[in-house]
Amino acid sequence: MKILVVDDFSTMRRIVRNLLVELGFSNPLIQEADDGESALAMLRTNAFDMVVTDWNMPNMTGIDLLRAIRAEPALKGLPVLMVTAENNRDQIIAAAQAGVNGYIVKPFTAATLQEKLTKIFERLAASGATA
Amino acid sequence: MDPMFDSELRDAFLAEAGDLVQRLGDQLIGLEASPRDSELLNAVFRAFHTVKGGAGFLAVEPMVQLCHHAEDLLNVARIGQLLIDAERMDALLEALDLLNDMLAALAGGQSMAMPPQGLLDRLSPAGRGGQAPKPIAMPVMPPPGDGPIDDAEFEALLDSLYGGGAPGAPAASPAPGGSISDDEFESLLDNLHGKGSAPGASEPPKSPSSPHAISDDEFEALLDNLHGKGAAPGAVHAAPSPTSSPAPAAPASRQAAPPENTVRVDTARLDALVHRAGELVLVRNRLISLAARHGDETLALAAAELDRVADALQTAVLGMRMQPVGRLFQRFPRIVRDLSRQLGKEVELVQEGEGTDLDRSLVEALADPMVHLIRNALDHGLEMPEERERAGKSRKGKVTLSASQRGERIVITVADDGRGMNPEVLRRKAVEKGVIDDAQAARLNENECYELIFRPGFSTAATVSDISGRGVGMDVVKTRVAELGGTLQVRSQLGRGSTLELAVPLTMAIQRVLMVRVGARLLALPLSNVEEVFELAPGQRQWLDGRVVAAHRGRALALADLGGWVGVDGAPGSHVVVLHIGHLRLGCLVHAVLGREDVMVKPLGPLFEGVPAVAGATVTGDGRLALVMDLAGLSASDGQLLPSLRISA
Repeated sequence: MKILVVDDFSTMRRIVRNLLVELGFSNPLIQEADDGESALAMLRTNAFDMVVTDWNMPNMTGIDLLRAIRAEPALKGLPVLMVTAENNRDQIIAAAQAGVNGYIVKPFTAATLQEKLTKIFERLAASGATA
Repeated sequence: MDPMFDSELRDAFLAEAGDLVQRLGDQLIGLEASPRDSELLNAVFRAFHTVKGGAGFLAVEPMVQLCHHAEDLLNVARIGQLLIDAERMDALLEALDLLNDMLAALAGGQSMAMPPQGLLDRLSPAGRGGQAPKPIAMPVMPPPGDGPIDDAEFEALLDSLYGGGAPGAPAASPAPGGSISDDEFESLLDNLHGKGSAPGASEPPKSPSSPHAISDDEFEALLDNLHGKGAAPGAVHAAPSPTSSPAPAAPASRQAAPPENTVRVDTARLDALVHRAGELVLVRNRLISLAARHGDETLALAAAELDRVADALQTAVLGMRMQPVGRLFQRFPRIVRDLSRQLGKEVELVQEGEGTDLDRSLVEALADPMVHLIRNALDHGLEMPEERERAGKSRKGKVTLSASQRGERIVITVADDGRGMNPEVLRRKAVEKGVIDDAQAARLNENECYELIFRPGFSTAATVSDISGRGVGMDVVKTRVAELGGTLQVRSQLGRGSTLELAVPLTMAIQRVLMVRVGARLLALPLSNVEEVFELAPGQRQWLDGRVVAAHRGRALALADLGGWVGVDGAPGSHVVVLHIGHLRLGCLVHAVLGREDVMVKPLGPLFEGVPAVAGATVTGDGRLALVMDLAGLSASDGQLLPSLRISA
């Protein structure tokens, strides 16, 4: 499973990567981008299976990245997990409207991340079954 | 608390957060000047936000709280509902200071207290009684709903948006015999939006009116309803299974992680590298000298090659230690801002040449002396706004920091356009304070009068203020600069302002020295202190005021015998090396001047600690030992030469 972790704070990328590895994802398959723009460039050239992105980033924010992904035919089915600092209703509703698959509030543990991922894949599975 | 709290992660966080916080100081000052700069507001907001996120993972609750409050205030400012005024800026800057302390505490493994409630209150957007921001008008999202959203709500929201499918997936049309009936979907919408109101095409779904509109149980039931109990996950998107992660589809090397252009290196490792490069330079020097002695052409060629490579390596390694002087400057806007508020003066700080590179150790070593010079310029140099107006100047005083490279030296000036210094006043004060006597005072020229401010025990301030009078005089600054192999000079023009010019050698690791011989001993004199070299003509030596001097360039140059200092018997040499040491000019007598050399100074070890004027030792090109002198140590704190330097004859 190839995962792109997007955050402008490299420590945070490292944290997310560590957690994903802790959950059993393959470390070499996890790649990193430091903002929406570079993430989008990587998504266009490489096949990824999931994006975990921070919300607040310079240049291109997480929500803009999400919108760009949904607007691009080749990428629009890509699951996106949004990392937010706040459990802010408005933000999350906006993200849901933009097509986010899940959200997770910092700080989180591996268990919470697992839970969120499970939910995302359950839903994907469901939509796959109905497609 | 957090299983991932390991020291490696903490170090990474400290380094990265440290960078952010360092920039934050500058950004906040910039923000005060242009409080509506949205880009700056965003950057400042994001910095607090990012540090908070990282601190959360490290479970550093005080830091999370502090950043959270600062971020809140900035967020309200960011959406244009509040202006960061001077008082709020005070609070933000205080928060920044506290954040710095917290980072230091985290680095030192110390515990930290929660931020004081007083500060948090001042950071609160509504902090100053009754100034609560107007409720945010949200044209798009109807009820602002400050409450957090929970998982159940989010899932329900997704359901309402995609009918149980995943975003981006083919539209999940309710399949015949499928997972959700029209009735069920209607009831879900009712649940979400209240009976009757449906999300229109142009109207986004409203958020649930209460944070707990759906309980977890209800949500589970709903999911069952949507997917059918025990519905197997589809084959297309399997749930992630750690044990069966697919093999890499493509070689990972095609596009590796985003290009990392910089690598953080521990400064100790950098210093070790500089050290090794320095040793290589020493070996090179020996080899060149060997090759010259043996007249072996192939050896000379190889030595020349090594010479070239070692030179390039040395330059590259030293370059790695270089930092733009802007790093030194960046703390000053804050200091100037705080000071000018405290003094009631209006000050504009101008910076020039921030890109000039300076040895890292100098950036740190110069910080305190520079702070003092700036304090001095603001406190003593600049006048009060009214006084400036009366003198026909603008109310706002100007302090200019500039840096430039001149040959092997970096010159930093602190210039103010304030009242300037009056030589007569300085002369009188110096006599009053017993720094010099009347006769000496009468002999001083204008420039020498200005130099009086560097004498111990001299301070022109009528009252010792909180700002400059911290027990540190300009003499201490001058001494410190001299210890760094630098010089400090002052120029002034009455009514127009003063300029302090600080010059330091480009680098500290490898010193360019003048090698001299005294008796059989070799001494390395830092070239940055050397003004000139000349040979004493017969009869040039004279006695003046009980000291031996040489008449040189129309002035009396005090002479000192380095032989006496290193314990060499016999007559002093006739070669004179003119050194400037702080405000002292001194002609040192040596037996021979051997030439310039780049040397790496090796410390002598604890046995020799505290021996004045010795910086260390080095190995010369021909393999001999030379003492590297720390010339600032040749004169005692009262400006008097060490007794052993006196010429008795």
